[in-house]
Amino acid sequence: MGNVERVDKTLATNEMVYYLRKSPELQRRWCTERAAVCREFGLTQPEIQALENPDPRILMDLGVHQYLVPHILRLTHGTSNVTNKHPSLTAYADAFPRETDTVLKGTKWSTKKDGDG
Amino acid sequence: MADIVAAMATTHTPGLLGWFEDAPADQQQTARNAFQKMREHLAAAQPDVLIIFGNDHLLNWPINNTPEYTVGIADEHTGPADWYQPWLGQAEKYRLKGHPGLARHIVNETGKRGLPFAYIRKDMQFDDAISTPTLWLNPDQSIPTIPITMNCTVPPIPRPERAYQVGKALREIIRKYPGNERVALIGSGGLSHEPGGPRYFRIDEEFDRAFLQWLADGDHDAILRECTLERMEEAGSGGTGELIAWFVVLAATVGGAEVLGYEPSYAWRCASGWVIWPGLSP
Repeated sequence: MGNVERVDKTLATNEMVYYLRKSPELQRRWCTERAAVCREFGLTQPEIQALENPDPRILMDLGVHQYLVPHILRLTHGTSNVTNKHPSLTAYADAFPRETDTVLKGTKWSTKKDGDG
Repeated sequence: MADIVAAMATTHTPGLLGWFEDAPADQQQTARNAFQKMREHLAAAQPDVLIIFGNDHLLNWPINNTPEYTVGIADEHTGPADWYQPWLGQAEKYRLKGHPGLARHIVNETGKRGLPFAYIRKDMQFDDAISTPTLWLNPDQSIPTIPITMNCTVPPIPRPERAYQVGKALREIIRKYPGNERVALIGSGGLSHEPGGPRYFRIDEEFDRAFLQWLADGDHDAILRECTLERMEEAGSGGTGELIAWFVVLAATVGGAEVLGYEPSYAWRCASGWVIWPGLSP
């Protein structure tokens, strides 16, 4: 089976994101006191550390459900006009360059300049 | 008794609403044309109620409890959910009449057949899974709608043959409803994509074209044999499996589907396809 089976269904981060998306107050606090919000939901220190500067690869290695990873990124970068150039997507290009380049190289969304590998 | 008068399926990628114009003009036109044909098909069928099947996307239920199916039984629904409004480019919310009589009948009758359908009485949350077909196919929200969300993304993901069996049961259950409602079924989801996964930008055109050909050929046994959950996961984990919503609808049809369009749209990060089934099970 695929990547989705790498999820740790018991990881506190996966529950926290569900509530974050529903609560403007939690979203506000996510920007101003992220670690405190994480502790209230029972996240472990490695989870809290990974959410300080979210990297899709690290989050999935911890067991965050893949579908929730872009939502975590959008909590920081906003949810409007989420084209392939949105920071929540370029984060994927940085985290998974091989998987991304094989698809986007040469397109208007490529983050690589001519001559890059 | 109620009757099923139309069956169709569509991609629901949020790009069809939130960043539609980022795609090449020809892909936009394919989408517009396909949705136009689906609206015409609906207009000819004159349904009293739409039933839309689509991925719950961990929206209505947290990951510690993900029902296989959830029915919205409210008199009226509102969408999109706040978090999704900017994502879907919707400054305003839409209001959508429900059909609590048929919705509650589905919850209770599936229960009698050993199918544990959950329900939500009020404030069911809608994202792209319900909003995309609603805004493209029912743009003035004049047709009452029963939203049925599905777990398509949290393991264990239900298998296509399970969705097909549920679809067979639903067909009988809908037709036992003591009313004269004309019901249209809409599957929402797919085609190949891997939302949030390492292959977020990838599309599996070979799988998509094979899948649409299987539908066009109309041999249900062959589709169930060929289109396994494993094959869908290979085509795009955690996203392509949304096609189980199409299998629920497939179960109410006979013969081949009419494929209205296909676009491997990298702009929308999702392969997009649209079909109607002219033949409905007697």
